[in-house]
Amino acid sequence: MPPALETRGLTKSYGSLIALAPLDLELEAGVVLGFLGPNGAGKTTLIRMVSTILRPTEGSFSVAGVPDDQPQEIRRRIGALPESAGYPDAQTGEEFLRYHARLYGQSGRAARATARTLLEEVGLAERSGSLVSAYSRGMRQRLGIARTLVNDPQVVFLDEPTLGLDPAGQRQVVGLVGRIARERGATVVLSTHLLAEVEEVCDRVLILHHGRVVANGTVAEVAERAAAPRRVRIRVPAELRDRAVAALADADIDADGRPDEIELTIPSGVLREAASGDALRKLLAADVPVLGLELERGRLSDAFLEMTEAG
Amino acid sequence: MTQQELRDLWFGGRALPLMLAFSVLVSVMTYLVATNRALNFLEQREAVNLTLQIAVAVGSLIVLLGSGDALSGERERGTLESLLLTPASRRALVVGKGLAALSLWLAAFAISIPYVWFMGRGIGLVGVALVGGFVVGSLLALFLAGLGLLISALAGSNRFSLSLGLFALFALFAPTQLPTAAQQGWAGDLLLRIDPFTSGLHYLGKLLVDAHTAGQDVSWLISPVVAAVLAPAAAIAVADRISIRPGERP
Repeated sequence: MPPALETRGLTKSYGSLIALAPLDLELEAGVVLGFLGPNGAGKTTLIRMVSTILRPTEGSFSVAGVPDDQPQEIRRRIGALPESAGYPDAQTGEEFLRYHARLYGQSGRAARATARTLLEEVGLAERSGSLVSAYSRGMRQRLGIARTLVNDPQVVFLDEPTLGLDPAGQRQVVGLVGRIARERGATVVLSTHLLAEVEEVCDRVLILHHGRVVANGTVAEVAERAAAPRRVRIRVPAELRDRAVAALADADIDADGRPDEIELTIPSGVLREAASGDALRKLLAADVPVLGLELERGRLSDAFLEMTEAG
Repeated sequence: MTQQELRDLWFGGRALPLMLAFSVLVSVMTYLVATNRALNFLEQREAVNLTLQIAVAVGSLIVLLGSGDALSGERERGTLESLLLTPASRRALVVGKGLAALSLWLAAFAISIPYVWFMGRGIGLVGVALVGGFVVGSLLALFLAGLGLLISALAGSNRFSLSLGLFALFALFAPTQLPTAAQQGWAGDLLLRIDPFTSGLHYLGKLLVDAHTAGQDVSWLISPVVAAVLAPAAAIAVADRISIRPGERP
């Protein structure tokens, strides 16, 4: 199966301003990619290029195995929800979806069936006959996501789909993104500022900063790269705590915590597994029984801030 | 694409108010023309010509309003990007919107028929007037649909697109307001012939007022025909350049 998305030296610049530095990327099919970066990092530019809306300055790309010199074929295989997409107020939700289904070549009957199925899927079936102007922002976003699915796409690009939504609306949209990936098997590229939703639904993360990739990997890998302090909590018998702290201090490991617990701070650049292993060996050597151990995961938000705040 | 654009235009609320305004305007103008005719200020042929010219001019203006809003309006409402994301080509988008805008002219012409019949009945002029009006009006409507789409495709905002379109239209109408002396001589004649509007309306005048045959002054249709071909062709040619601008957000 060809990669869902492949870019080779993909670049976009406006005069001397580089919106996206040469990007080499390969995204396997069926993955949910969290696409992160501060405003102006180049996320929308990249999505617009690979969805054939913007021409790259240099480089090439393919989507679902279709090269960039066949933009119409690419558009047949993708669904894309632009950031702050507009909607025709005078159409109903069903008319809007039917119209787009027709633009993908579906017959009137098929387009009607597609529209009804999708409205059901995004939870708007009861409002299918209402004018879009009467929809809330969250409903419009769900309608927009439904629109991206009218052609049963292989790759879905969602540019800030939760922008401006209240927490309940954000939950609905995030749930929908997860379902698209699980039930349809589509590859999803989700551009967002909500790191919690990325951790929840994404398999991989790509962080852009000033048009350059500063991180690319699984959520755990990227989070692990954060220099922010992470912690390991080790439970020991309260009466042996002082001995445990002394044993760790001999090994230059700073320890803190409650009377029956030692909390280790792992320095940046050190894997938490390695640090906790060292600590365990020191404790066992000092005859301190270990009653429990809890590794605190690195947080994506720490990684994101660290990688995007510098410069 | 065309079907949906027609639906949007006619059921979306823009076309019907325009047609209502057109009907009121043509009614008022026909009433004034008929009054002048009753007072013998106008010959009947002149009255028919005047009524038809008003219908053609205002009908074309409506086409310009429809096409001028077509793409810049989508851009402003934030719906252009969603359209560009579909496999429909940009040319199909432009053609669909152009045909929808032309439907405004057809409706305006249909509304004008009873007025032309009322003014021209009894002197065997109704048929000629309707055929001539339809031909000239369609050429001008094609020209203005193309012009409106061209401006709309390149404009950054709806306001700019409509303002520029109206400015262009008034500039095209301007020669009709020149004093008779300025319309004479080779320069005046050239000005009238180059401008598709003055040229087309002049042809109608020859046909209806001077009772010339259709082929007698056909050279006056060169400019409207050329404009009716070039403007839509230019609009289709720039269709591939329709894109979302850097940093553009709805």
